[in-house]
Amino acid sequence: MPPILRAEHVSRSFSIGRGPDVVAVHDFSLDVEAGEFVCLLGASGCGKTTMLNMFAGFIQPTEGRVLLRGEPITQIEPRCGVVFQSYALFPWKTVQGNVEFGLRMQRIPSAERVQRAARFIELVRLQGFERHYPTELSGGMQQRVTLARILAADPEVLLMDEPFAALDAMTRQEMQEELLRIQEASRKTIVFITHSIDEALILADRIVVMSARPGRVKAILENTLPRPRHVSIQLSHGYAALKAEVWGLVESEVHRHTGR
Amino acid sequence: MTARLVIKVASVAVFLLAWHFATTTGAISPLFLPSPGQIIAQAQDLIVTGDLWRSVLISSERVFAGFVLAGLVAVPLGVVMAVWWPAKAIVDPFISLLRPLPSITWIPLTILWLGIGEQQKVAIVFLGSWIYILYYTLAAVQRVDPMLVRAARNLGARDGAVMWQVILPAALPGIIAGMKITLAISWSCVLSAELVAAQSGLGALIWQGKDWGNLPLVLVGMVAISITVLIADMVAERIERLLIPWERHRRA
Repeated sequence: MPPILRAEHVSRSFSIGRGPDVVAVHDFSLDVEAGEFVCLLGASGCGKTTMLNMFAGFIQPTEGRVLLRGEPITQIEPRCGVVFQSYALFPWKTVQGNVEFGLRMQRIPSAERVQRAARFIELVRLQGFERHYPTELSGGMQQRVTLARILAADPEVLLMDEPFAALDAMTRQEMQEELLRIQEASRKTIVFITHSIDEALILADRIVVMSARPGRVKAILENTLPRPRHVSIQLSHGYAALKAEVWGLVESEVHRHTGR
Repeated sequence: MTARLVIKVASVAVFLLAWHFATTTGAISPLFLPSPGQIIAQAQDLIVTGDLWRSVLISSERVFAGFVLAGLVAVPLGVVMAVWWPAKAIVDPFISLLRPLPSITWIPLTILWLGIGEQQKVAIVFLGSWIYILYYTLAAVQRVDPMLVRAARNLGARDGAVMWQVILPAALPGIIAGMKITLAISWSCVLSAELVAAQSGLGALIWQGKDWGNLPLVLVGMVAISITVLIADMVAERIERLLIPWERHRRA
């Protein structure tokens, strides 16, 4: 059986003005197994968002292929649901309306739609806010709505693009716990982008360290920390050793670019 | 808030008093400016005969018809131009040529084509309004966050759903804001049309006052225009709140 999500020698370049093409991703290969939680870790500009956009089908690789269950992704792929850093909620729809959107697109009958939306609103602990508009909610709550909206649509893979980067440290920690809890319960396959080593260590089964300009896979690490996890895992011994290892990989990257 | 209101009322009262004394003491000849009392008396006459109300109503009807017609043409056209570039390329040169023309320059042609009846007044309102609505619609649709379209497609939306459930609601606040601004322009269009060739309406009322040397009548007409447009604005504001409830707290 093929992996649920696969990148085969993927490269992507962009033409910018009259200058030479910029290579955002170069020869990127990765297999993601069903139920796995993979973090793409790297500094900004390392092509991780470009990679995610190709998994979602927003853009196409210039070389190589991206496959979902062995079939090439050639257009926007609803089976790969995206959680955007900027939330991308529909401001004219209430929380309920936003969470129901994907179900409506799937033409699910209204009774079942309402029921399923309620279930996911409860899962992200937003009961009582169904009739609120997104702009009436805090950043953390808006990101929960995005999560509920995509989970209700029930995609096979979740693609998360630095979803918690815009949140304050306390809310971020709360959302990480929430995501661990949800992933534990749903066993969704998740590809998660982050530039935070801690976030990758708390969440991931595997960590893909990316190098920048052009973006490529520098190393892939198994995260051996036990599950089920909680953010307090950061206090354990194994955590420090693993963090040192990841930091070593990232540090050499940082030095390469600052010229030290 | 109350202090502000007191100052506003006082400001108007002082102005009216100064006007009253300037005209009743003879410092300003009533031939040049009638006194507030004369204007009120004239207004009472017009209210009793029903002429004022009739004029307001007929001008409002013309504005409404021309404005709605302009919206029915310009909103769909603006949306199509924003999402399908060949449409924009086809229409753009005509817009560039038509836009600098004030609606008043259409009066000779429209009289030739339509006479001096209702159709011609409505045509002037239409011709003076539709391009503005088109521009605001175009801009509103072009400003829709492409992230929202991506998100909708990622949730399984096809072209129809993207248009009706994402692009149009996202552009609606901008379209409505543009229509509110255009409504005031529509009013100036109808008045210019009524000044030139009409037997009825607020513009015609003012012109009658001028022809008969009845200056209070001219001023009653002007005040009536101000109040009518203010009320139209308030109604538009109400409709806006009803149509885009998700922005209500942003204004608050």
